[in-house]
Amino acid sequence: MTDIPVLYFLWVSAFLFATGLTILLLKKNTIFVLMGIELILNAANLNLVAFSKNDPSMQGLYLSLFVLVVGVCEMAIALAIILQVYRNYRAIDVDQFKSEF
Amino acid sequence: MSPLVIAFLVLALLICGSALSMLWTKNLLHAALAMFLTMLGLAGLYVLAYADVLAVAHLLVYVGGVLILILFGIMLTNQTNQTNQTNQTDTASSKNHLMTRESSRLLPLSIGLSFFLGLFWLFTKGPWMNNLPVTGDSKLKEVGLGLLTEYAFPFELAGVFLLIALIGATFVAKNHD
Repeated sequence: MTDIPVLYFLWVSAFLFATGLTILLLKKNTIFVLMGIELILNAANLNLVAFSKNDPSMQGLYLSLFVLVVGVCEMAIALAIILQVYRNYRAIDVDQFKSEF
Repeated sequence: MSPLVIAFLVLALLICGSALSMLWTKNLLHAALAMFLTMLGLAGLYVLAYADVLAVAHLLVYVGGVLILILFGIMLTNQTNQTNQTNQTDTASSKNHLMTRESSRLLPLSIGLSFFLGLFWLFTKGPWMNNLPVTGDSKLKEVGLGLLTEYAFPFELAGVFLLIALIGATFVAKNHD
């Protein structure tokens, strides 16, 4: 069975990272920004998985499992914070309010 | 071309297309659906990289958990702003029309494009041996054993971390009146 070169995975991951970064910079809705962060996390994860397959100790695979867990925690807490922000200010756009400091 | 490479190309096209549509659309619900497709394709890519444990965990967590969480977030923060009030006459058709605002497109798109080109160049011309094929087989047994022996402490720590994060999230999201 012929296998896929690591480079192909890296290309897809570079594309995902760039798209996530663009979403992060372009959108003003906070939930959209969070989705961009998720794309960036998954691009990093794909890199870890692709490289760990030539590594007999598989450290990248274990690290990517923990990245998954941390990403989920970040998502849950961020959505809870967004909910509170919406309750207090009735808006969740990132440029809606200016800091007073 | 071997069937594996064809499967890889199909999955990569799915991922890139849905990520681009996520970038392109202004509708929050469409973006959530596009993210669902991206996560499905990514799970397929993990399988092709022989990380089937991670693929199953990814499907469970992202499609089953995070996407529902995002949809709840969209539902609870659904604001009737100016763009929705202008065509409020046909409310039934405009309920799912959750348009979001964007900043100007030029700067983010150029930054993203230059990041992509830079990473592409870096990965292609990089000094490491990047033409190694992805070798191996499913390592389900090794991963299970490793998580319960060598990486047992981080594994338990991740579980406690998840518990703390979820309790904290419910506490933060509570109505503090």
